[in-house]
Amino acid sequence: MEMILAVLYREFRIRTTSPVWMFFDLFMPLIYLLMFGVGLDRAMSGGVGQFGGEMSYQSFFLAGVLSMACFGIAINTSYGFFVDRENGIFYEFLTYPMTRGEFLVGKIVFNCLLAVVQSALTLSVGTLVLDIDIRWQYAWFAASGIVVGTAGWFFFLTILALRIHRNDIFNTVLNVAYFVLMFASSMFYPVDSMPAWLRTISLMNPLTWHTDVLRFATIGIGNVETIILEAVAFGVFLLVSFWFAVRTLQHAVIK
Amino acid sequence: MADEAIRTTNLTKIYKEKSKQPVHALNGLNLSVQRGEIFGLLGRNGAGKTTLLRILTTLIKPTSGSASVMGFDVQAHGAEVRNHICAVLQENALEQFLSVRDNLTTYGRFHSVPPHEREARAQRVLDQFGLTEYKNKKAMDLSGGLKRRLQVAKVFMVDKPIVFLDEATTGMDPINKRAVLESIRAQADGGRTIVLTTHILQEAEDLCDTIALIHEGRIIASGSVATIKALATSVFELSITFESMNEELLAQLKSLSPVRFEQTGNVVELCINSVDGTVLDTIAQLSRISRITHLEINGGTLEDAFVELLGVSREDTSWK
Ligand SMILES: Nc1ncnc2c1ncn2[C@@H]1O[C@H](COP(=O)(O)OP(=O)(O)O)[C@@H](O)[C@H]1O
Ligand SMILES: [Mg+2]
Repeated sequence: MEMILAVLYREFRIRTTSPVWMFFDLFMPLIYLLMFGVGLDRAMSGGVGQFGGEMSYQSFFLAGVLSMACFGIAINTSYGFFVDRENGIFYEFLTYPMTRGEFLVGKIVFNCLLAVVQSALTLSVGTLVLDIDIRWQYAWFAASGIVVGTAGWFFFLTILALRIHRNDIFNTVLNVAYFVLMFASSMFYPVDSMPAWLRTISLMNPLTWHTDVLRFATIGIGNVETIILEAVAFGVFLLVSFWFAVRTLQHAVIK
Repeated sequence: MADEAIRTTNLTKIYKEKSKQPVHALNGLNLSVQRGEIFGLLGRNGAGKTTLLRILTTLIKPTSGSASVMGFDVQAHGAEVRNHICAVLQENALEQFLSVRDNLTTYGRFHSVPPHEREARAQRVLDQFGLTEYKNKKAMDLSGGLKRRLQVAKVFMVDKPIVFLDEATTGMDPINKRAVLESIRAQADGGRTIVLTTHILQEAEDLCDTIALIHEGRIIASGSVATIKALATSVFELSITFESMNEELLAQLKSLSPVRFEQTGNVVELCINSVDGTVLDTIAQLSRISRITHLEINGGTLEDAFVELLGVSREDTSWK
């Protein structure tokens, strides 16, 4: 625990040395929601039909923005491995008195907290400005979803970042993967409205699971059984990613 | 053994990279370091020093063989090993975005220095390493020499029983180097085990209780500084140009049982093992057989001497 806190504190110190980045981290999803959400709502001028009801696009897109934000923070955190590696400190960390698991958990905990604060900001503005009907009584569920989502993606990206030793290749892989993952998910549009082949892919995409859970937790849309299944699936994704990330740290650090 | 800090048995490391020849960095290395001593690994670049330290600090896994630190196997009990060590790696490892002082205090935090002691220790280390005037500067704004100093200073924040220093003084000016070496000495006197690598003989000589010469991934000699020096100072490299070459001269040269011998025309290069002083008598004897037109004698550095000896001893087993 002491070590996790030490890593957490270190991440906090590094992050807060750059207020500009902190600003982006905190307000980016909000900007997305305001620009895309509101813009697309106007353009589609009818909102999105799902589960028999009609809702504004910004209501639908809200969960997409939240899961996108978690993914974004996970990317930034995993990108830190390259910066740390360049500074040599990455290798030194691995000689510190902690397990590989403590190191990874410590790295993500601060960023999970950041994601929660960011989501709270986004949800508040959603309620106050965009008039989205948010189920605040499920806030604890949403917060858990944010934490688990951020950590899950971080562990997954850690595997890539540590195995791909060059950051330009990592960037390229990430850009392509992110693009595919985003559009083959329920982030921008309901899975039901997709062509069959895309729907199949989307249903196997952890980004869909995460977004659906957040959508259920925030605006109450979704089928309870499906949501439980998706939540469990994402939990498994997190655990498997964590296990592989720890293994990668143990074996493939210096080739 | 209870007073053993480190032991390796047949430690082997092969770096394998796609489309490249595998590199045999360690070839069955055996080593034993006692608690409380300053142990110096001396060897040329590429000898395998850093690789050995990487394995002992749990950064990489050996290909085969085993290593233990304070009785804990580096592969099976990595986290336990890390509880007992701190390390200065060959490459600088600094928190570039943090100040000099924060670099020290975060390091202390990671190594469980109690909160109320961190600041005081940081101040002491800053003074000790002449870093006080830079304490509020970010690490990224320091010069190369200062970065190295800060890197080394960090291990003096903590009291882990084993300290690894990989080429710690490289890139430091003589004054700071002196200060660092003295600090290391003081730490060892306080009971810590120090394992350092260097390719500089003088440093090993000045500081270490025990020296091990590492060459091509093996320890080729080890012992107290005095023992090793006695061995080394008796090895001379000679390059002699004679006016003419003849059988008698050759016979005389061979009778010196050189550990290395090369002849091209009238020029003879040889490496002989001889007690201090007698080498000049030997040369005088030779010059009576044929006049010497040119002569070079090298006392051979500790390292060179052993590398030469090893190279020869593979072919010429008669050398003891
Ligand atoms: N990551 C690596 N991949 C491939 N070869 C390596 C790697 N690190 C070191 N080597 C090679 O292993 C040998 C030993 O290197 P090293 O342990 O760094 O020696 P030293 O520290 O004594 O200079 C050298 O031939 C070096 O080129
Ligand atoms: Mg080295």
